[in-house]
Amino acid sequence: MSRLLSVENLTISFRTDEGTITPVQDVTFAVDKGRTLGLVGESGSGKSVSTKALMRLLPRTASLGADTKMHYTAKDGQVMRIETLSDRSREIRALRGGEMGMIFQEPMASFSPVYTIGNQIIEAIRLHRPMSKREARAFAIDMLDKVGISNAGARIDQYAHELSGGMRQRAMIAVALSAGPALLIADEPTTALDVTIQAQVLDLMRDLQRELGMGMIFITHDLGVIAQVADDVAVMYLGSIVERGPARDVIRAPKHPYTQGLLAALPSLDTLSKRLTPIPGEIPSPNARPSGCPFHTRCAQKIAGLCDRKIPREVVPEPGRAVRCWLYDENGRAVA
Amino acid sequence: MLRFTVERLIGMVVTMALVSLMVFIIMEIPPGDYADRYAFRKYSGTGISVTAADVQAIRVDLGLDRPMLIRYFDWIGGIVLRGDFGQAFAFETSVNKVIGDKVWLTSGILFATLILTYLISIPIGIYAAVRRGSAVDYGLTVFSYLGLALPNFLLALVMLYFANRWFGSDIGGLFSAPYRDAPWSLPRVWDMLKHLWLPAVVLAWSAVAYQIQTVRATMSDELNKLSVTAARARGVPEGRLLLKYPARLAINPIVSTIGFDVNRIFSELPIVAVVLGLTELGQLLLRAYLDLDMNVAGAILLILTFAIVFMNFLSDILLAWLDPRIKLGA
Ligand SMILES: Nc1ncnc2c1ncn2[C@@H]1O[C@H](COP(=O)(O)OP(=O)(O)O)[C@@H](O)[C@H]1O
Ligand code: SF4
Ligand SMILES: [Mg+2]
Repeated sequence: MSRLLSVENLTISFRTDEGTITPVQDVTFAVDKGRTLGLVGESGSGKSVSTKALMRLLPRTASLGADTKMHYTAKDGQVMRIETLSDRSREIRALRGGEMGMIFQEPMASFSPVYTIGNQIIEAIRLHRPMSKREARAFAIDMLDKVGISNAGARIDQYAHELSGGMRQRAMIAVALSAGPALLIADEPTTALDVTIQAQVLDLMRDLQRELGMGMIFITHDLGVIAQVADDVAVMYLGSIVERGPARDVIRAPKHPYTQGLLAALPSLDTLSKRLTPIPGEIPSPNARPSGCPFHTRCAQKIAGLCDRKIPREVVPEPGRAVRCWLYDENGRAVA
Repeated sequence: MLRFTVERLIGMVVTMALVSLMVFIIMEIPPGDYADRYAFRKYSGTGISVTAADVQAIRVDLGLDRPMLIRYFDWIGGIVLRGDFGQAFAFETSVNKVIGDKVWLTSGILFATLILTYLISIPIGIYAAVRRGSAVDYGLTVFSYLGLALPNFLLALVMLYFANRWFGSDIGGLFSAPYRDAPWSLPRVWDMLKHLWLPAVVLAWSAVAYQIQTVRATMSDELNKLSVTAARARGVPEGRLLLKYPARLAINPIVSTIGFDVNRIFSELPIVAVVLGLTELGQLLLRAYLDLDMNVAGAILLILTFAIVFMNFLSDILLAWLDPRIKLGA
């Protein structure tokens, strides 16, 4: 399996009126061709800004850490070092849309209200494919058809506000896919939808990802969704990835206390009768990150004197798994 | 869009009809009528004593004895069908002659001011929003406060002083001496343009300051929209992105206030005109009121209100074109 994207030591800071905050610290993950990485974590843990950094979509107030490496293997086999690209370069414009597509949580707000859906799909197509207007329009109609929009030939000339929520998100998927990206980033694409529609859109995305052989980063705050779509998972807490591994293994046998907590809080058929046990305590604000392990303020297994002082390293407790927790780092504990 | 345009067009015509009726009623308000004033003017000082019967004869002669509604249709019919605004009392000639040139001069100043205002404030407002927080942005904010604080007539005086020093003494008025009473010709138009910029700059000044802030504020809002990020994420080049997505909506508030701007320029024009030595419609209107020359006053009022109603129509159409949600909602 070949590597599509590898991110190492991604650190993101923002200049704010209250000083500099660093909501993402030392994040490392990878996506292979044709596989789906699920990025899971509570709201505010830094999922969106991390993926925006991949497409260089962060605002001017943001800056990347000096050690940040984001290496992406383009469709033509060339390796792009995303962190070095300039904001207005041709490479970054080819990368945006053509190599990586992005879908957002709010399908309504993702479309401009003053242009038709067709206008925005055709724009994406013509930026990345050598097609005439007429060809691009035919291609766009095919694409809308493919994402399950009925009567695509008429829908294409409608505005986003004339469609239902589910249809809008399907249309947004069509926009992202029509440029032919090798990596699709979906930032909570189903969170804003009705429950029944959620499942349909989820199925659609999984099917399209398999059919087109795309890599995908699927962001969610719901581990249950991860089980349905992801091959691999990375669990994020307060700007750090605390655990990664194959989705099935992580869900069956979580190692990090935070992942264990998330799973315990998940409703499922056999826990419906029992009471769910949510993780105690509040997620701290990203500008008041706790010292040491960021999770120590809520961790039941914390090692006093260590966890609140020293940041745990990422260790490999068994092949294919990685976890950032002192419980699995005996050597480190011995030194510390 | 066609349906929307037709609807608005009908709306405009109805508004204009109502407005013209109101103007006609205003013309009727002063005591006495045209016949009284005509008789007084014609026979005063001649020693001939005018009887009520004489006045009545004049009245019948001019058709002033007919019911008001008939006279209204007579008046508006002449204007609409023949472009004839009737007789000016005080000047003993047609209204068209009295106001003719000044209509063109006033509209010249009006459009020059509007175009100047939008040409400066839209690009600068967009630029300030894109470079929010930069030195340029702060500089523009300071300029805006200055622009809003400075009274028009003061600015006109200052500009007149400098224009005189730099461009010679002939900058006041709308024409240089050789062209003042010459018939229209290309050199005369050019001469007028050379004089037009000064009142246009003075009148545009505070509007520019105000509109820069408006455009900057809406543009900043629009720039933060998810749809802009989404467009960027599909690789739209930055310049095209800014124009196609946020800028198109950022000029909405400007377009929707074109009518207000026209109104404001009309009401600020007289004082600027006095300082710059121009004769435009506003002053003429004032004089016509003082002379009770209601045909002239009515003609000017009608032209001003029609201009505002028409510009409002234009702004509606532009707005619907900029933001299709408007016509869908209508
Ligand atoms: N433009 C910004 N300026 C300052 N801080 C920001 C900005 N965008 C995001 N952040 C910070 O980054 C944190 C993580 O945000 P985000 O990536 O949106 O979280 P998630 O997607 O996991 O819910 C937020 O809590 C916020 O403090
Ligand atoms: S490092 Fe310590 S505080 Fe953090 S998760 Fe592990 S045990 Fe808990
Ligand atoms: Mg998010």
